Amino acid sequence: MKARSSLKQEFLEKWRKGLQIGRNDSTILERKDAIKLSADVAIAATRNAATRWRRALLCDVVSKNPTNKHVVEQILGHKLKNTAATTRLTTACRRRILRRGQNYRRRKRNKRSRALRKLVPGGEEMDGVLLLQETLDYIVSLRAQVDVMRRLAAIT
Amino acid sequence: MDKQHYLMNAGIPLQIEASMPSPWTSDQSLSMDHHFDSSLTSAAFALRHLIGKLDRSSPAALPSLAADPGFAERAAKFSCFGSRSFNGRTSSPGSATPGQSMSALPRVASSPSLKLNGSPPPRNRKLPSSGANSNEESSVSEQIPSSNSRKRKSASRGKNKDDRSNSAKEAEEDENLKRSKQTQNCENEQECNENKTNQKPPEPPKDYIHVRARRGQATDSHSLAERVRREKISERMKLLQDLVPGCNKVAGKALMLDEIINYVQSLQRQVEFLSMKLASVNPDMDFNMENLLSKDMYQQSTSLPQQMYPLDSSSPAYYHHHQNVQHQLLHGTNISSVDPLPLDATLGIQIDGFAQNLPQQFPAFTEDDLHSIVQMGFIHNSVQNQTSNMKVEL
Repeated sequence: MKARSSLKQEFLEKWRKGLQIGRNDSTILERKDAIKLSADVAIAATRNAATRWRRALLCDVVSKNPTNKHVVEQILGHKLKNTAATTRLTTACRRRILRRGQNYRRRKRNKRSRALRKLVPGGEEMDGVLLLQETLDYIVSLRAQVDVMRRLAAIT
Repeated sequence: MDKQHYLMNAGIPLQIEASMPSPWTSDQSLSMDHHFDSSLTSAAFALRHLIGKLDRSSPAALPSLAADPGFAERAAKFSCFGSRSFNGRTSSPGSATPGQSMSALPRVASSPSLKLNGSPPPRNRKLPSSGANSNEESSVSEQIPSSNSRKRKSASRGKNKDDRSNSAKEAEEDENLKRSKQTQNCENEQECNENKTNQKPPEPPKDYIHVRARRGQATDSHSLAERVRREKISERMKLLQDLVPGCNKVAGKALMLDEIINYVQSLQRQVEFLSMKLASVNPDMDFNMENLLSKDMYQQSTSLPQQMYPLDSSSPAYYHHHQNVQHQLLHGTNISSVDPLPLDATLGIQIDGFAQNLPQQFPAFTEDDLHSIVQMGFIHNSVQNQTSNMKVEL
């Protein structure tokens, strides 16, 4: 039980940290985006695990809107190391790995694989085995996130 | 190791699920023990203290696993390694499959404990005892005397592998592949052609993957690698099957993948919906967070099956899946003790928010739902109220 609640506690705490950053959002949509952003970054930052989807999620978050960087750094507690360079590097590596895999297997990815890849952050550059593994971890984290958010929403 | 991480976490949601009848019940697992919380109002700032005691006992490698003393039991419950049930856990070592399925456990459990220790213990010894894992190891060492000697050797083999391999995945692959065995060597092995078979005698640690061909199967490197890959995939599919509700009935990778995709989509949609809800209901998020966080701490330590917050039943994200569940709720399972007045108020706000901003996103939010929800609110009011305290809080 301790491990179960520790994930959620960690998520909650990080989420709170992210929300503490002052923002001037007046509309509901802006607020909702801020809440969702903090929640996503918080769940990706839990557990000290450097799984691919987490890294991909954080990279996406930062690249979509550079102002998000503050949130990410606040939650992570340290500065992101030069995300532009790292993403470039990793995409090159990923492409190489992907091509290698494709050469060996040479099969077309079916519809379901593609659909799953779209859902899991960073899924495009994963091979079949890794995809399932990451999906597993991602599902667990999503579940924790939804659970905590729901409880919070129900309390308010 | 990632797999164990998943196994352990698989235990969590499954325990939740077990208490619920309907599929995809994670939404129902919202335990709103308001009457529990209400007595704990003074704990608003216990949060900080609790956070300070967050589980940091384990190193970066396997934080989740090490913290969980009941891991072995839960892994036993939810693991997919053996086809038989886990009665074999305490049975004699004569039968192969329980032995085989048990064998997964000591190996699985031993590696994180060793990663924790850092220094490599000598080979062919029983598992060392480390503080954080004493429970794990006691349960594991229980199994060890009851299992055959090969398991012990595999545990020590697991130790050595952990010493030299950095990535958990590599070690896992190695384990799998050494498990995909040489049936020739095993004499009392009943199910030679199963995927997860018995261990082999210990081998010197290697840095690359060693696979031996099984009887009656092709031996060229491509098909071997292919087989290994397929086994890995099926392993992970089994883990996913335990994790995603409603997958047990489905047989076959394709349909299961469909279920998984649906599940992930629904979870993501729920996140969107909930963040919208939070944004609309409460303009001052972190002002309330402190109080709510403290309540949450206590909530999470209590478990689950509980009272359905009626508002949740209307959420469009899982509207399609829960028509029948909704009706069940109306006819009152556990009546949630929520004050109807704020319920209607929040409903009003929520509806306004939706109407203004997201007409196209939530088409399923119908008039009937609102009616039913309001009725539920009144029903709750009339039935009972344990929440006299709750009212004070709110």
